[in-house]
Amino acid sequence: MRIGSHELNLEKRSTLPAWQAATISLLAILFALTIFSLIFILAKVNPLVAYREIFSYAFANRFGLPLTINRFIFLLLCTYAFIIPYKAGLWNIGMTGQLYGGVLGTFAILFAAGGKEFDNASLSPEILIPLMLIAAALGGAALGAIAGFLKGRFDVNEIVVTMMLNSIAFWLVAQMIKEGGPFMNPGGEGQSFEVPLSVRAPLIMNIPFTIFLALGVAVLLHFVFTKTKIGYQIRAHGHSPAAARYAGISTTKIPLMVFVLGGALAGLAGYHYYAAVPGVYKISGNYGYFGDLAFYGIICGLISLGDPLAAIPVTLLFAGLSIGGRNAQGAFHMSFGVDYALLGVLMITLVVFQFFYRYRIVWAKTEEDRLDVGVRR
Amino acid sequence: MWEFVARSLEASTIFLFAALGELIDQRSGVLNVGIEGVMLFGGTLGFIAAQSTDSYWLGFLAAIAIGGLLGLMHGFFSITLGADQVVSGMGIWIVGFGLTTYIGAPYTGPLGMDRIPTIFGLSPFFYIGLALAVVSWFVLFKTSWGLRIRSVGENPSVAQVSGISVSRTRYLCVTIGGMLGGFAGAIYSLYYNPVWNYNFLMGWGFIALALVFFSMWNPLILVGGSLLFATLWQLSLNPQLVLPGLLSRYVWRTVPFVITIVALLIISTKWFRIRWGAAKPEALAKPYSEE
Repeated sequence: MRIGSHELNLEKRSTLPAWQAATISLLAILFALTIFSLIFILAKVNPLVAYREIFSYAFANRFGLPLTINRFIFLLLCTYAFIIPYKAGLWNIGMTGQLYGGVLGTFAILFAAGGKEFDNASLSPEILIPLMLIAAALGGAALGAIAGFLKGRFDVNEIVVTMMLNSIAFWLVAQMIKEGGPFMNPGGEGQSFEVPLSVRAPLIMNIPFTIFLALGVAVLLHFVFTKTKIGYQIRAHGHSPAAARYAGISTTKIPLMVFVLGGALAGLAGYHYYAAVPGVYKISGNYGYFGDLAFYGIICGLISLGDPLAAIPVTLLFAGLSIGGRNAQGAFHMSFGVDYALLGVLMITLVVFQFFYRYRIVWAKTEEDRLDVGVRR
Repeated sequence: MWEFVARSLEASTIFLFAALGELIDQRSGVLNVGIEGVMLFGGTLGFIAAQSTDSYWLGFLAAIAIGGLLGLMHGFFSITLGADQVVSGMGIWIVGFGLTTYIGAPYTGPLGMDRIPTIFGLSPFFYIGLALAVVSWFVLFKTSWGLRIRSVGENPSVAQVSGISVSRTRYLCVTIGGMLGGFAGAIYSLYYNPVWNYNFLMGWGFIALALVFFSMWNPLILVGGSLLFATLWQLSLNPQLVLPGLLSRYVWRTVPFVITIVALLIISTKWFRIRWGAAKPEALAKPYSEE
């Protein structure tokens, strides 16, 4: 495209420096929020007022901030559940199912320990809480393993498989908590029994200990991807499975491994939301909502370009936006699903901006006006 | 019993339309993993348009229009921009899931219109779907248009050299595919189950995607696949018809999804690939730039 004596060109990027990637991601988020203003304008709410309400509730409110932090922990684990397979070039959209697997594992331990009846003193939390965590990770990993094994061994499309597993796990949770299922609440229909007081996750300044778990995973993953052989193998598989196979990397094991790890983290996210967040401590009747939220993990993973450390601020922002959006929905009497709409707008902006990760716009003088005429590019 | 058969046939129509659209996409070499999103959009906007104008025609028109638009958008990302088709498709799914939840929320509830008249106990869509499958098969395998589409999906550079416009053919296919997807969503929300609820499809679009792999990219086999999965779906809703009292109704609900995974596994085995494997469009999901 030519404007005056200057020309607008697209050039394919050969490398993408970190600061440029960060700038593009930041622009994408700003762009999405601008587009999202439309939703507020259509609902006759001043977008500036709406955003002030969203951000102040999410990050500076006595009630909102803990919600944001809890959601941040949840989303960060879901994001890693997406990122690890993504690094290997595979798509895990089964965080939802895997977190249901995790929550079923958690409650299975409680059920086995008699959690449906016992009160405070019966079993020591020092044993039960680690057991619950392990069971959560195993539950998620089991679902992940199905997708990973099928992908690695038979090259079955992992997107369809993980999505099918989401639906399967959704109904299995219903089976366990509804209509006389083993985890059903003795008092109320359609939800699980409550986590007994003594084995609720320890809080540090009112925040569940799972935050250290999530941040620990961040550091660990960063180390694994940058410094270890296995991280290198995962990335190699992501660039080209065929090339990886020639280099002696097992294309059967890598998909299985990334999905098991991803699934385990999603399982822990399930433990976090249903057994560690103050005020929840049960599988509520609308458990599907938290499952839907897990899809934010896809967006966080894509915007942070699969970088475990970059995912932290991105996830914190989106956790705040989804909490603040929910609050704005009530405050401005908007219809249900503001946080879902935000999810959609962010995603489509991101797809558009994918382009800029691969191309850059060059703004230069047209060739005739250059001094170095005759040097054709 | 007839009611069960009729419901299965109606459900198969929805799978058939959606999967037929996806099949046409994929035959031209474009993978759209976001049909679920296209269907959600078609179903939701179709529902809103039909309810507010009290006209089924406008409802279906709106659904086809938004479906075509989303198909074009996917085309723009994956053909013109050469983006990763999975990223774009996932984007369309999540956009569909997120935005329709918000847009449709005020319309939650039953449609409240007279039922669409039936022909011999089945909706007209059933017959249209069957006819469309036969027509697509004929066009794809017996006409020069079909040859063009298939050659673009198999080997775009050769197609280009022999004078076929790769991007034009692909744009046409993704737009038609999107329209069919939007229409399928509207059949669900306006006829099959005329009650709007957020995320009402619960994975039908993804089953349709699996059906395309399962059909070996042949519209006639697709008809059989749609019938099979629709029957399974109905059985999972009415387990008392097969094995009364065996498993709880929630476990039955998982059956179609389990069978989808098993079916995908079977067609992915080495034995199956050697026997039938040549059907997959060679250039599927690979961006192509005309240079």
